Amino acid sequence: MTHSAILGFGAYLPKYRIKISDIARHWEQDPASLLSGLGVEEKSVPGLDEDSFTLAFEAAQLALKTSGIPPSRVSAIFVGSESHPYAVKPTSGMLVSALKLDPFSHAADLEFACKSGTAGMQIVDSFIRSGQINFGFAIGTDTAQSKPGDALEYTAAAGAAAFLLGPDSHKNALCRIDKTLSYTTDTPDFWRAVNEPYPRHAGRFTGEPGYFHHTRETISAVVKEWKIKLPEINHVVFHMPNAKFPMRIAKECGIIKEQMRAGFIVPSIGNTYSACSLIGLVSVLEQAKKDELILVVSYGSGSGCDAFLMTMLKNGKPLPIDEREREYLKYDEYLEHSGMLSS
Amino acid sequence: MEKNIYLVGSGLTPFGEWWGESLRDLMEEAIAAALKSSHLNATEIDMVIVANMLAEVTNNQSGLGALASSLLPHHPPALRVESACGSGALALHTACAFLESKRAKTVLVLGVEKMTDASVDAVSQALMGAADSELDAPSGLTFPGIFGLITRRYMHEFGLTREQLSVVSAVHHRNAHENPFAQFRQKLTPEDVTASPLVSDPLRLFDCSPISDGAAACILSTIHKSPLRIAASQMTSDTLSITERPTIVSFKATREAMSRALKESDIDRSDIKVVETHDCFSIASVINMEDLGFAKQGEGIRIYEDIYAGRTPLFLNNSGGLKACGHPVAATGIKQLIEVGKYLKDTSTQWGLAHNFGGAAASCGIHIMENTNA
Amino acid sequence: MNNGAPIIHRSLKRERDRFLPGTVVSFTTLTHPPVRFGHRPRTIGLIELNNGQRVLAPILSENKPFIGQQVRPRMRLSHATADGLRVYEVAYEALAGKAVQLQKFPGYILALTGPSGVGKSTISRTLARVFSEYAENVPILTTRDPKKSDDGEYVYTTPKEFELLRRAGVIVSSTNIPSSTEKRQYGYRSTDIEAIWNKGKLPIVVTEIRLLKGLAHHYGRQSILSFGLLPPGKSKRAKLSALLHRLRTRGRETEAHIRDRMKNAEHDLAFFLERKDLFDHMVVNEDLSSVIASVKEKVPKFSGI
Repeated sequence: MTHSAILGFGAYLPKYRIKISDIARHWEQDPASLLSGLGVEEKSVPGLDEDSFTLAFEAAQLALKTSGIPPSRVSAIFVGSESHPYAVKPTSGMLVSALKLDPFSHAADLEFACKSGTAGMQIVDSFIRSGQINFGFAIGTDTAQSKPGDALEYTAAAGAAAFLLGPDSHKNALCRIDKTLSYTTDTPDFWRAVNEPYPRHAGRFTGEPGYFHHTRETISAVVKEWKIKLPEINHVVFHMPNAKFPMRIAKECGIIKEQMRAGFIVPSIGNTYSACSLIGLVSVLEQAKKDELILVVSYGSGSGCDAFLMTMLKNGKPLPIDEREREYLKYDEYLEHSGMLSS
Repeated sequence: MEKNIYLVGSGLTPFGEWWGESLRDLMEEAIAAALKSSHLNATEIDMVIVANMLAEVTNNQSGLGALASSLLPHHPPALRVESACGSGALALHTACAFLESKRAKTVLVLGVEKMTDASVDAVSQALMGAADSELDAPSGLTFPGIFGLITRRYMHEFGLTREQLSVVSAVHHRNAHENPFAQFRQKLTPEDVTASPLVSDPLRLFDCSPISDGAAACILSTIHKSPLRIAASQMTSDTLSITERPTIVSFKATREAMSRALKESDIDRSDIKVVETHDCFSIASVINMEDLGFAKQGEGIRIYEDIYAGRTPLFLNNSGGLKACGHPVAATGIKQLIEVGKYLKDTSTQWGLAHNFGGAAASCGIHIMENTNA
Repeated sequence: MNNGAPIIHRSLKRERDRFLPGTVVSFTTLTHPPVRFGHRPRTIGLIELNNGQRVLAPILSENKPFIGQQVRPRMRLSHATADGLRVYEVAYEALAGKAVQLQKFPGYILALTGPSGVGKSTISRTLARVFSEYAENVPILTTRDPKKSDDGEYVYTTPKEFELLRRAGVIVSSTNIPSSTEKRQYGYRSTDIEAIWNKGKLPIVVTEIRLLKGLAHHYGRQSILSFGLLPPGKSKRAKLSALLHRLRTRGRETEAHIRDRMKNAEHDLAFFLERKDLFDHMVVNEDLSSVIASVKEKVPKFSGI
């Protein structure tokens, strides 16, 4: 067969949130200007007993359920994160065991800042198209770290998204991956050295030379090589480090708000790093209709972009609603949850 | 019982926090007291059986049989037995087997625990060895937690109130007031118990037996006689984990041991006038009354309410029980027998019972004693 | 506390098998949990999972939990050891809603699956007799005609009726066995299984692969205590010849029937290897009493007998 498709999908967010205005007030900054500058109102915070593994597990369980595929038939899993629980001891291995996947699975952990999850999706797509596996998982998960007082603190959030891919001929195939391409450079916009707990970034340099340049180049390539017309894309999902960046690049390319609407999840969640564009994709898959086209362009600092063109094979179905009540944290509770106070 | 086995000597150390005493010191003290009360020569001891649960963890010591034996001039054969908090009764049961088989004619049975040599957290974790290390401990449960679960379920099934439960420790403390060997001799009202800090909701501090140091020893013999005869010695078992039981508000091991012990001694429950029962937590005592058959299920608290009100259907935990007398784990079962024997002699009563168990009654030992002079 | 790597490794399988919803049997809050769990009080529950297994695990709840509360599983980080190994556990999150009564009997099914001729009916009849107080065979609904050799294990019905029951959702697992001689339907009714549960007994099904898959799909794999029955013999060929011998000596079928059954049996034996995940235990049918002893040992309800 020539294409892979998404058969099942799931996302998991912790139930805790903190309002951007509360963070601002702690640092005696003006909440209003931050809100208007970032466009993010609140962000998700992991529970004290949650980490990138537990978030990924929950998302993957949901994806298994929606796909109807028995876990023992899944034989590949690639997990992207900037916050894998271990530097050495793979999250993907832990998930093979916890999810009861086929022990004879291809598995590895990935890092490419916020595009490590989509890189995983490209790998699994390849394994399926080459006929090496029937079903595989691509997961993006993060409990993003940010230094207290740093600008990133307002947006760095926690969440996971999981996609179960299989052949597009499968009866449960929901969304076919038609094409994918990537663009990669060496750009020092955002980095974290091995012995450092928090990432550093280069301020305004992260904008034009980072996010905008790479996303723009990728979109150009997509339009040229795939011969698509952007207005024909029903749903566009960009990486969302905040609410402003994706809207700016969209406007520049002539993509309108209605095309962005379904996947635009950042204002109420924040930037879940490796899960960010993937959670946006989950939101689209819940709402999109048969035959609609989806364009995903994720961005990872360092830097690079992954782009996907997808076609819905069936109408999307919403995931079960999370019935837990959201719990809003005060700044001191948020610090403990982010692991700042652990010994 | 194949032979007549007599309690010919007994002795114990006071129970408490003995920072200046080692495991060996406690053993020596109890052995000396037992020998003195027996009027026997140390060399007449054929065998030593030591009961202990935690020495490996709290005192870096195994080989307790050899250690105890070395305290006697002639180094008799010795062994150590363990069944968590029921180790004392197990040691007595083992002694009976050796005596019945004639491998020994006079056995020194010694229970000892030196718990304060390790941190509270370490001891708490070590005590969880009496539950299932794979099914129970990983969740973070401790023994107060296990009995907290049991208490809440019991309250749900039978309507027991917090105020009612508080009477149990009040009774135990009142008893211990008269016991010079008890760790805690201050009186407590039920209100004091109810007001004490929460340990494992709904159990409070004064519902829980303490961490204690102490030793208790007794000498059992088939060739030396005394008015106190062991009429029954029964051991039973159940699952380690409460997750593998159909109910958590009644202990099968106790029910079975009681039924067998009554059969072995050929008496009726109503003949028993004095009881030492295993009150590791106040709720345990309530459940014990029901499992031993002195009360219907759901009504165990009435015995305590009666006692607190001045009526005495039963002479119960005169030592103060585990709560007030203290609970140096493996010494308790032996102390219970000594206490029953003392009461039978002092009051010319004929029949008494000691009920000891390990963990959440994963193992249970019941001894029935007769005062042949009564 | 010794929390070495081998102990943590073994705990993984145990935690995986607990990822099921359940009901709160009891709970307590430890004011000072063991040091490795942090400084806050920890609420731990005794939970009965919907496959009848009981577990001790933390309860995640906004408000105070209550007995009979429904809970759902969540994967959580329990703690990190002094060596930096992360220990994960399944915790249970309280769901909104009213208290439910615990089932008097854990709602699971004992299934014995094996190729034709391995001796399933003899085993199931014996099990039902030996453990009659605790277990009962689930009758098999079938559209085929009664045979002289049938012994009360079937309930007979018409193909039309069978289809109606299937549409109504009463049949929870079904298969048809096309063969060169006849086409027949077989299935289990939920009403029969539930009736046995309501009596406080364990339903026993003696079955083949497709019916087993159907039951696992309907009730959840965890609700089946699944035994694979294999014929004696070291190699596949030896096993097949043992089966053939038994089928012939049984004298119940024609040679044509036997050929069909042997074809199925070969396929079934291959299946045992492929779908190990559908079986909890494999038992070789050397002789009846050792099979009964094996089953008795591994069924929690029977072990007290």
